[in-house]
Amino acid sequence: MTFNRRLFLASLTATLAAPMVKAQTRPRVIIIGGGAGGATAARYLAKDSKGALDVVLVEPSQTYYTCFFSNLYLGGFRSFESLGHSYDKLAAAYGINIVHDLATGVDRAAKTVTLASGNTLPYDKLVLSPGIDFIDGSVAGWSLAAQDAMPHAYKGGTQQPLQAQIAAMRPGGTFAMVAPPNPYRCPPGPYERASMVATYLQANNPTAKILILDPKDKFSKQALFEEGWNKHYPGMITRIGPDMGGSAIEVRPDTMEVVVDGEAEKVDVCNVIPAQRAGDIASIAGVTENNWAPVHADSMLSRLDENIYVLGDATNQGDMPKSGFSANSQAKVAANHIRGALTGSPVFPAKYANTCWSLIAADDGVKVGASYAPTPEKIASVDTFISQTGEDAALRKATYNESLGWYTGITTDMFG
Amino acid sequence: MGRGAYLLGTLAAALSTGAAAQTLGDPAYGEYLSGECTTCHLAAGTSNGIPAITHWPAADFVAALQGYKSKTRPNPIMQMIAGRLSDDEIAALAAYYESIEN
Repeated sequence: MTFNRRLFLASLTATLAAPMVKAQTRPRVIIIGGGAGGATAARYLAKDSKGALDVVLVEPSQTYYTCFFSNLYLGGFRSFESLGHSYDKLAAAYGINIVHDLATGVDRAAKTVTLASGNTLPYDKLVLSPGIDFIDGSVAGWSLAAQDAMPHAYKGGTQQPLQAQIAAMRPGGTFAMVAPPNPYRCPPGPYERASMVATYLQANNPTAKILILDPKDKFSKQALFEEGWNKHYPGMITRIGPDMGGSAIEVRPDTMEVVVDGEAEKVDVCNVIPAQRAGDIASIAGVTENNWAPVHADSMLSRLDENIYVLGDATNQGDMPKSGFSANSQAKVAANHIRGALTGSPVFPAKYANTCWSLIAADDGVKVGASYAPTPEKIASVDTFISQTGEDAALRKATYNESLGWYTGITTDMFG
Repeated sequence: MGRGAYLLGTLAAALSTGAAAQTLGDPAYGEYLSGECTTCHLAAGTSNGIPAITHWPAADFVAALQGYKSKTRPNPIMQMIAGRLSDDEIAALAAYYESIEN
């Protein structure tokens, strides 16, 4: 109880320091970022604390578009609208205060968050779930200023311009993708994207080519993707790995050229997926080291601030891939831990899991997954599985259908 | 119900994670564990590519999870998830899903 009283006093102090916000009587948790980590954390904090916590979710977007399944939009298997989700139910049914604003600052000493509007909000616990931003200069010749010509399309809601460029390709043109170095969001994502672009081109522009320029020796589900590409899209997809110059790519957005091993090649679409780092607010808050936010494996608590938790892609936690499934799993552990700290509710042992489904072609779904447990050093893989090459069509269709069920499940888990 | 084994398992988990263990006989533990299920299985109990598990009779729920745990039922995800659930955790989940209100 002493702990709770101390926290209560801390929250009072914070409130007094920020007189524009009305006095609060409940401990306040601010969550920055309304995606798979943040929306899940907000919902579980509100649902399970039954009104004991003041839960504030800061997210600029009115409608959240999932990055997961956005490749299926490029392949023509989903509408763009089907990826969009409203925060209305989190506000109406769970009493979460949704603040549609951009967090621009964190004062860790005063325990306040500053918003782009100028407002300052005090917190007792802060959850950062900002996803990724890109490392400047990681692909020579590319910057955010060039993203209209060469889109990344690697954040939720940004895939429509890329789709329009693919649809406008000349017959027999080339779609190039610059794949990112590890670690990055959604390890199979670039290769599922190549598969979905191939599906689209095969139906609409069957002599077109896909060129993947890859700085990595190997990639997630490689045997499954390569088997599928040979089976469904023979001769369409070429991947140039680091041994052939894939790790030192230059792009020229003005002339739509990619330079591989000193040779410039004209392409029709160029999807540049740069190297990645934790979303801006994590470094602004000062909880990152070497681009990512280190966290304790049993709680997702920052290793650099005892009142800040970090979730999902932005973290350096160990063996879990950067995925929406991982962020959702981590959010539940963090929510349980935060409630324990603020309300004295039981704190249960952390357990984590992840599964990443990918679609290679219509009804040809594959998956990889693992369970994880905390150790003092990291979140460590316990058990893993992966789809096998040569599986029959019925199993692949069932795996795809399973992924559809998961999409409904996780988005319901996030948004109510 | 193997309370001894449950306690030992809980203690071991607590010792390995440093988390405060207050799980014994706590129905909130079943609800916490169910967070691993609701990523895919809709709490509302509708089925869409992934079976509904809400309001299953507890005995059927236990039989299914034990089948995955022993790998006599197929599906690698469920074999992995069930594979690290103790018998008491399976029982807690079964009781929770049988009684869940929506």
